[in-house]
Amino acid sequence: MMRLASNLLRYGLSGATVLALGCGAAHAVDIKMWNLVVEGYPEFIEYAKAEYKKTHPDVNIVYETFPNEAYKTTIQVALTGSAPPDVFFNWAGEDSARLIRDGLALDITEYANKDGGFAKVLSPSWLAAFTYNGKLYGMPTEAVSKYFYYNKAFFAEHNLSLPTDFDGLLKLCRDIRAIDPSMTPWPLGNSERWKLNHVITMLNNRILGSAATADDYALKAPDDKLFTNPGYVEAWQKVLDLKAAGCFQDAPNATSPEASRSMFASEVSPLIYCGTWCVNIFFTEGFKDFAMFRMPPIKGGKGDPNANFLVPQGFQVSSKTQHAAEAVEWMSFLTSDAVAAKFAELTKAIPSNPAQIEKVPDTSEQYRWIVKDVASFSEPVNVLDVLLEASVSNAYLDAGVEVLNGTKTPEQAMEFIRATALAAKKKM
Amino acid sequence: MLQQQALDIPAGATELRSAAARRGIGQPLTSALMLAPALLLCGVFIFVPASLAIVGSFFSFGLTSQAWVWNGVGNYAEALADPIFWLALRNNVIIVLGSIVLQVGMGTVLAAILDRGIPSGRTFFRTIIFAPMVISAVAVALIWLIILDPNIGMLNSIVKAIGLTPPSRGWLGDPSVSIWMVLVVAAWQYTGFMMVLILAGLQGIPNDLYEAASIDGARGLTAFWHITLPSIRNVLLVAVLITTIGGFKVFDFIYVLTQGGPANATQVLGTYVYLQAFNLQNMGYANAIAVVLLAIAVVLGWLQLKASRRAS
Repeated sequence: MMRLASNLLRYGLSGATVLALGCGAAHAVDIKMWNLVVEGYPEFIEYAKAEYKKTHPDVNIVYETFPNEAYKTTIQVALTGSAPPDVFFNWAGEDSARLIRDGLALDITEYANKDGGFAKVLSPSWLAAFTYNGKLYGMPTEAVSKYFYYNKAFFAEHNLSLPTDFDGLLKLCRDIRAIDPSMTPWPLGNSERWKLNHVITMLNNRILGSAATADDYALKAPDDKLFTNPGYVEAWQKVLDLKAAGCFQDAPNATSPEASRSMFASEVSPLIYCGTWCVNIFFTEGFKDFAMFRMPPIKGGKGDPNANFLVPQGFQVSSKTQHAAEAVEWMSFLTSDAVAAKFAELTKAIPSNPAQIEKVPDTSEQYRWIVKDVASFSEPVNVLDVLLEASVSNAYLDAGVEVLNGTKTPEQAMEFIRATALAAKKKM
Repeated sequence: MLQQQALDIPAGATELRSAAARRGIGQPLTSALMLAPALLLCGVFIFVPASLAIVGSFFSFGLTSQAWVWNGVGNYAEALADPIFWLALRNNVIIVLGSIVLQVGMGTVLAAILDRGIPSGRTFFRTIIFAPMVISAVAVALIWLIILDPNIGMLNSIVKAIGLTPPSRGWLGDPSVSIWMVLVVAAWQYTGFMMVLILAGLQGIPNDLYEAASIDGARGLTAFWHITLPSIRNVLLVAVLITTIGGFKVFDFIYVLTQGGPANATQVLGTYVYLQAFNLQNMGYANAIAVVLLAIAVVLGWLQLKASRRAS
């Protein structure tokens, strides 16, 4: 009898333990998060996960990263599949808008506006990046900008001045070539086509201004006016002027972005037009003696000289997620004051929550300069390959390759883009 | 008497006959069960996707679209009017013809040299030439991307060292050169395979033929032309068909080396399907191009099967 009671007690306790463990396990939530491969981000996520675990022990963050080009395809396939990530990186603009229109990105307005939600922390201008028809469909974490990076020692050694306008930039290239004809002043890694697209984005803006391009980019201009502004041709001509001034190496379409960055970081070239993400890359490659300046204004251009390249990016939530509240809570934590300083310190990105910037320890001179400079932009300029409809974006990318190769003139490039835009507009 | 003899069946034979009869009835079932796993795999990964692609080619939709919109034969009409489609098809034909000349041609010459041209070291040379086949195509393309790099690549240094000028737009950036470089990279990887295939055929040629020809004064190139080539005709046919199929289905080299650029100069049907489907959100059109590719593959596959049977 005693033995029976003892056994029953033992089995009962074991069963209760199993049930308790089972119940605990059932409450555990896995949040799958996808991001690009970005310097500093894995370290930040590891830090954030550890901090988040202290208050959310049942939430596991499964973080995966992908190379830039591969991600653009992978995320689309994953979101339409049966096991998409709960939280995923995206650029603001047409990339995120298309997912919203197709019902693949969740409306997170309600979650974001709860106590502790990111909508309570970020400014309206940041939130606008992922606002669509008055609702929030994503959280901006940072924005990327682009600058000319220059080798300070080289410039000082050869008494080179920073250009104050586009003609000054051409002169700078010629001066560098005069110092060493075999040196490429500005290596352009256009093998993936987007490098020149970033340049054309700014040239269009400098020449035409935002107001003149808005309807064309949105394919809302009347058919007889669509992409007919001669400023677009002038922008392509400016690319040829850069080429004629010897700015680029011989084969920009066969040079990868990574190779061009390495040419600058290894001081083979003294200048490069690169994104704000490049600061970390150059530091990692051991080069720190550089500074930046903006794309100079163009004489006679209608663009605001204080406007500059600024592309918000952040994270969205899959409409198929089973853990919407937990996903947004995790996302909100990433932009909260608690980790904002660490975010800025590790990623060197321009954060959407700048509250703790002054507390970031050991920030580089370059990073502090970028943060201050971005704050002084009069307006952001979003990049063409994110802004335009897919086929028009592709046409711009291909046109860039052909203009650089000399297989299309600037006029032919714009005829090609205009024809593609008209065809795209007809399908809409 | 005869009937009695006929009926004089040894003991156990009836049981044997029954067992044989049971085997005859059960054999189709056993065969079906044996084939089932392969058929299931083929069904899931080939037949079902192919059927969906055929159906999808009559609709317009994007990868992330909520609905498919009926388009009839509109996608096929679009292909007929699309200059990039014809450019891609033309590039596939160039790759096929170029690969036949380079891979099968060089493979034949190398096989002949290994078979009868060198006194020793056959195993060593066969291994070296075949070795690139064991590397994945993506890895091969990545290696060649570095070799062909216009700034740091080895090929530029070699070309300059022998007094020539490399293309100013880069080996992969020049639209008139890039497609030929793709052929070179593919030949580097696959010539060894062709060589081994043809070598097997060469080693089946009786030596008596060469001895008899030698007596009549036919040696070297003459013997190669009049004895070797005709004897391995069927093997060459199989090699040509394999190369042709490979040329039409090529994707990996192009995607890694050029992504179909510069500006569609190396676009092939495989990469064009990818561009339309995933970059331009034009899945219906991509399906139509894929169906065209499927039709070409089916015809070539049938020809290869026929040639293989003939060869054996």
